[in-house]
Amino acid sequence: MKRGWLMRMLGFTYNEEGLGELAGLAAALGLEAYALAVGSRDSVADYSYSVFKRIYYAPRMSTDQAFAVISDLYDKIKPDMIVAPSLKDNTTVLAMLASNKKLAMFTEAFGIVLMEGKIRAKRRVMGGRAEAYYEASTPIALTIARGYYAPPASSEKGAGLEEVKPPASKLTILSVEVKEKGSVDLESASIVVGVGRGFRRKEDLRLAEQLASLLNGVVGASRPIVADYGWLSEDRWIGISGKKIKPKIYIAIGISGAPQHMAAVMDAETIVAINKDKNAPVFQYADYGVVADLYKFVPKLIEKLREKLGGR
Amino acid sequence: MALRIAVLVKASLDPNMLRSKNNGLLDEHAMPLALSEYDKNAVEAAVQLRERNGGSVTVLSVLTWGPVARRLREFEQVIREALAMGADDAHIIVDDALVPGDPASTAEALAALAKALGGFDIYIAGEASMDMISGQVPARLAALLNLPYIGYARSIEIANGAIRAKRDLEGYIEHVEAPLPCVVSVTGEINKPRIPTLIQVRRAFRKPIKRYSVADIGLNKVYKPLISEIRVISVKRRNIVIEGDNMDDIAAKLADIIAGLLPR
Ligand SMILES: Cc1cc2nc3c(=O)[nH]c(=O)nc-3n(C[C@H](O)[C@H](O)[C@H](O)COP(=O)(O)OP(=O)(O)OC[C@H]3O[C@@H](n4cnc5c(N)ncnc54)[C@H](O)[C@@H]3O)c2cc1C
Ligand SMILES: Nc1ncnc2c1ncn2[C@@H]1O[C@H](COP(=O)(O)O)[C@@H](O)[C@H]1O
Repeated sequence: MKRGWLMRMLGFTYNEEGLGELAGLAAALGLEAYALAVGSRDSVADYSYSVFKRIYYAPRMSTDQAFAVISDLYDKIKPDMIVAPSLKDNTTVLAMLASNKKLAMFTEAFGIVLMEGKIRAKRRVMGGRAEAYYEASTPIALTIARGYYAPPASSEKGAGLEEVKPPASKLTILSVEVKEKGSVDLESASIVVGVGRGFRRKEDLRLAEQLASLLNGVVGASRPIVADYGWLSEDRWIGISGKKIKPKIYIAIGISGAPQHMAAVMDAETIVAINKDKNAPVFQYADYGVVADLYKFVPKLIEKLREKLGGR
Repeated sequence: MALRIAVLVKASLDPNMLRSKNNGLLDEHAMPLALSEYDKNAVEAAVQLRERNGGSVTVLSVLTWGPVARRLREFEQVIREALAMGADDAHIIVDDALVPGDPASTAEALAALAKALGGFDIYIAGEASMDMISGQVPARLAALLNLPYIGYARSIEIANGAIRAKRDLEGYIEHVEAPLPCVVSVTGEINKPRIPTLIQVRRAFRKPIKRYSVADIGLNKVYKPLISEIRVISVKRRNIVIEGDNMDDIAAKLADIIAGLLPR
């Protein structure tokens, strides 16, 4: 990059794969990059893109430990930007650092543009239904929205690694429960059937599964179905705190149409909504709406589609 | 142990009542303020802690949307809602210097207020506000008060001066313990917020709300807001409601439409 100034970035991430996004950003914006990652030497080495001048790592750190370590690195490296992929604990650590160093910060940024001593970026606000344009002077802390910065084209590895020793923690991690992992790829599905709280029992989701499989599609869900009831795994979660999708057809069943859900399906080519309440906001976002009880309507829809599509 | 519990609530612009001007910019003045969705969970968690452990629940809030003079009554109504849910009293900061809000200034103001009030045993916030979704304020507050921070809790309990929580993170749940005092943020899944009865709503009018300016709490540094404009993302859809003689008829029509759109 030809310009008279160079910005220095200190990246941070709890997941090693996040180093890919950070490297992608550094390469795209021409930054002098350093990073702190949580992981073992081997796992970090897999992501040691050579765009990094150095990667610091520790196998395990609670958020207060990571905060202490990154505070020291901040003083040493004096970065213009402190950046992390958007992940809950990444946000926590950066917000603590920003508070401590009296820095401004914004989360889930995209469309990042740098000028000398300044940064411009956008982020979603109002439940995801609006875009806010930010302008700030550096140094600045930010998390980057998922899916905007891919790992750099040159996958050359071998950045220098240096282990750091975190101080004692006020937080004691008692245990960790790994959640059930699914492997559904909502982001690239061309037909998605979305289920919401209109479904009364987990078994009833079978209706949506039948419809989806008839259309060669997959089932996604609103936040309560995944996070509150645990009826489906996290890979099915659609919304600003889950996945953003762009199918040819999105069929929302028993979903009210909260902005936080609908903001993530706005790139669908066609939206169909089935809801028993004719005033449900979801109809404002729909190309085709059906006001009906899903328990009566969806079986009929499946029947009619079967007739039409034959043995699919 | 009687707990001094602080709950942080935000009077957010209600994204369900999105309004835009002809030029596509957000018409924030036409949007009402409402108690932020997950702050209701925070209030519920606070009230449940008091019910189990004894103590008091104090609401702390900073007005972040102006104009201050016109928003004041609306702001108080939002605070009254938290009081009706069971909080005991409220301390609010209203000052032009904090409008429009920035998470950095908001956290500084809340920290200064908390210190002026002598500090609390536990501070409970929502995981993110429904308008700005920044997810910064509670973590910033913890750093400013030099307290441990437990983010994204989906259950909390207190025993022997310590808090235990289950943190809901991407891919896993982490069980943690921290000494009090401590700052916690809760997810929308931690509980089901109670809906206050009419009597509770009426009683809330007698609960004290104390108002402060930036000068009152000795805050001198405020950050400059960073937002130059907010644009509403426009929604253009056909909005066709499929009607018919009966359910079979409607299902047949929708099946036709869907079949016509399917990729070959
Ligand atoms: C910061 C923040 C982040 C959030 N992130 C997300 C997110 O990522 N994803 C997300 O989905 N939500 C998110 N939410 C939550 C969001 O605000 C809503 O609470 C949620 O989307 C509602 O889910 P739902 O539509 O399934 O349930 P509800 O709102 O309860 O809607 C259920 C609908 O089903 C209809 N219904 C009931 N019975 C029937 C029947 N028999 N037949 C047909 N229809 C029926 C009802 O009329 C109703 O419209 C977030 C909120 C906040 C504040
Ligand atoms: N102006 C405010 N006054 C009081 N608490 C706030 C304010 N803004 C944010 N909070 C708290 O911080 C949480 C996260 O907000 P945010 O950082 O805006 O996403 C909210 O759920 C509230 O509990």
